[in-house]
Amino acid sequence: MIPLQHFLFISAILFCLGLFAVITRKNAIQILMGIELMINASILNLVAFSRFDKVDNTGQMFALFIIVLAAAAVAVALVIIMNLYKRVKSIDPNQSDTLRG
Amino acid sequence: MVQLFTPYQLFCLALLAITAPFLSFILSLIFKKIAGALGILSIGISFISSLILFLGIWKKQTLHFAFHWIELGNVKIDVGILLNDLSVIMLLLISFIALLVHIYSVEYMRKDGLKYRYFAYLSLFCFAMLSVVIADNLFLLYAFWELVGFSSYLLIGFWFSKEKAVQANKKAFIMNRIGDVGFLIGLMVMLTQFHTLDLSALFGSENLISSSFVKNGIWVTPFNTLPSYWLTITGFCFFAGAMAKSAQFPLHTWLPDAMEGPTAVSSLIHAATMVAAGVFLLLRIAPLFNEVVLTTMVCIGLFTAFMAATIALTQKDIKKVLAFSTISQLGFMVVAVGVQDQAAAIFHLVTHAFFKCLLFLAAGIVIHELHHLKEKHQLDFDEQDLNNMGGLRKQLPITALVFLLAAMALSGLPFTSGYLSKDAILVSIFEWADLKGGVYWIFPLFISITSWLTTFYIFRVVFKVFFGEFRLPQLLSKSDLKIHEPSSWMRVPVVVLGVFCFGFFFAYNPFSLDSAWIYQGFIQQVHSEGFYHILVPLYINVLSLALIFLTYQAYANKKIIFNLEHTWFYQLSLNQWYFNDFYDVFLMKIVLFKASVFNWFDHNIIDGFIHFLTDLVIWLSKISDWLDKHAIDGLVNGAAALVKRIGIWLRGMQSGKLQHYFIWMLLLFLSFMLFKIIV
Repeated sequence: MIPLQHFLFISAILFCLGLFAVITRKNAIQILMGIELMINASILNLVAFSRFDKVDNTGQMFALFIIVLAAAAVAVALVIIMNLYKRVKSIDPNQSDTLRG
Repeated sequence: MVQLFTPYQLFCLALLAITAPFLSFILSLIFKKIAGALGILSIGISFISSLILFLGIWKKQTLHFAFHWIELGNVKIDVGILLNDLSVIMLLLISFIALLVHIYSVEYMRKDGLKYRYFAYLSLFCFAMLSVVIADNLFLLYAFWELVGFSSYLLIGFWFSKEKAVQANKKAFIMNRIGDVGFLIGLMVMLTQFHTLDLSALFGSENLISSSFVKNGIWVTPFNTLPSYWLTITGFCFFAGAMAKSAQFPLHTWLPDAMEGPTAVSSLIHAATMVAAGVFLLLRIAPLFNEVVLTTMVCIGLFTAFMAATIALTQKDIKKVLAFSTISQLGFMVVAVGVQDQAAAIFHLVTHAFFKCLLFLAAGIVIHELHHLKEKHQLDFDEQDLNNMGGLRKQLPITALVFLLAAMALSGLPFTSGYLSKDAILVSIFEWADLKGGVYWIFPLFISITSWLTTFYIFRVVFKVFFGEFRLPQLLSKSDLKIHEPSSWMRVPVVVLGVFCFGFFFAYNPFSLDSAWIYQGFIQQVHSEGFYHILVPLYINVLSLALIFLTYQAYANKKIIFNLEHTWFYQLSLNQWYFNDFYDVFLMKIVLFKASVFNWFDHNIIDGFIHFLTDLVIWLSKISDWLDKHAIDGLVNGAAALVKRIGIWLRGMQSGKLQHYFIWMLLLFLSFMLFKIIV
């Protein structure tokens, strides 16, 4: 049986990759992909925890929820990106800095 | 005799007599065009009212109306009107003389741009003077007394662009103030002693003065007691007030200078109003004076009369001669009050008013006409200098005639009013000296000399102005200088006054004092028909006639030429006994020295202290300013700068870049985690 630490390592690596993508990418789609990676890392965590905790499968339940929510979030995010593109003719998030203080 | 008017109506008339000039004063300042007419109308109303009052009151009754005014503790001061013989004769005299002067002024001031102001002041002056004579208590009298002083100030300085006139009115005002202080002190003593200032209560029948007495060096009145010397002091105080108004030595120097005013004003001031006020006051409060004050009064009066007469001998200015003549005649009146012959004082006051007013108005005509001549021919000479006149009787016959009449009255020649009144005073002094005996015979001697001097100086003027040759054409080497009689505005008043110089108006027998109705109206003790009554007028007049002849020879015919110009007594007289110089040198020096000391003290000590204080305050404020700037403001600014810096730093986070926000979030989250781990 694979120990929990391995799962956590994999998930941490995945999270860090996602985080790196979110911080560094110049493309909103790629940032979205980074976010998906981070979400999946956390799902992996939850699934791994639920494997070592078999009382009432809470981890799996949360994983399913998060998947659904992530799907919905991606849909919304894509729409936002499309609207953003319509407004500034670019999907580089650095281009749209109207909130700058 | 049937009374035509009830007392109440008479009271209303008296009010009318004084309010008419006052209304005219106000209206003249508003309706400038008709100021002259208003003045004449108002004084005419006053004159008619005074005439009715005179007929209703003279020798018949005494009326007194009063209303409550001020009540201070147990002292009550009323405001009211007292009408007795003295009041009504003065009312009549003042309003009559003032009426004539008003009429005369219409022509005299015709070309003056500020004529309306002149008539307004004249009305104010008449109002004040009429009020003085009918005021029923000393306090009210004092108030109007001051108003007389003030309005004379306005009139003397009427030509305010002339430096000399301004100096003269200041001098008159200050001199009068000195006397007024005395009057005020006298009022206070009276108030302390009698608790009232009401004239009829003090001096009327059943009066307070006679119920007070001096015993063992204490002055006892029904209300209070004081050491007896206070009675003397009070007398002197009131006398000082009268001295300033009536121009007695040593407060006489204002009067010659007051000649700077218009001649008509000089005439009014000198004849019936201002200078008469002093004598009037003495007459009103005569019972108050004790022996010491009365004797002083005789001394001062006589000295003033003598001094002024000697000064008048040599003056070159026609108005100056008349001014000193006035001072001299006022001296006579004060002497009469001093020897307690008040009837003679009043009588002389009245007759003097007529002929002195006439002298001034006639002199005014001469000055006026010469002034016209000067303007017409563009000449430069002093129109008041006697040396520029001479022989004017041919060109101004009426003026010369009335001037001669007035001069005769002034020297007291028979048939004139002056004969009666002046000789009454002379006789009184002779009798007084006879009563006292010894050294007191010096008084009749000097008054006789003064009387002869009077004759000499006034006829000097007469002969220099109206007889001999007209000197002006020679002096200016021009031959066609002609002057003529003025219009009837000026002629009528002088002729009317000239008529009143005759003795018939004052006594049906112009040689007998007993038939003089004014004199008899005020007589208090019956005179013994002594030989003085015949002898004194006789020897005075015989010598006077001789002197007139002498002056005629000297000034009209030039047969006798006086060569005295370098003697000390000529210089003394010419320089008016050096009184002005004395006042300038000594009193003014002392005052100026004191003033400079106080000035130094003020500048160095008081100002020094103040400057030190201000410096202190400035230093303190500088310190506080520094503190404010650096400590308080520093704190506030520092706080603001800190906030600003934090703001700038925090603003840096709001880059508007999505990923930066993300990093910040991450950092925050991480630091929170770290915090949780450490703590």
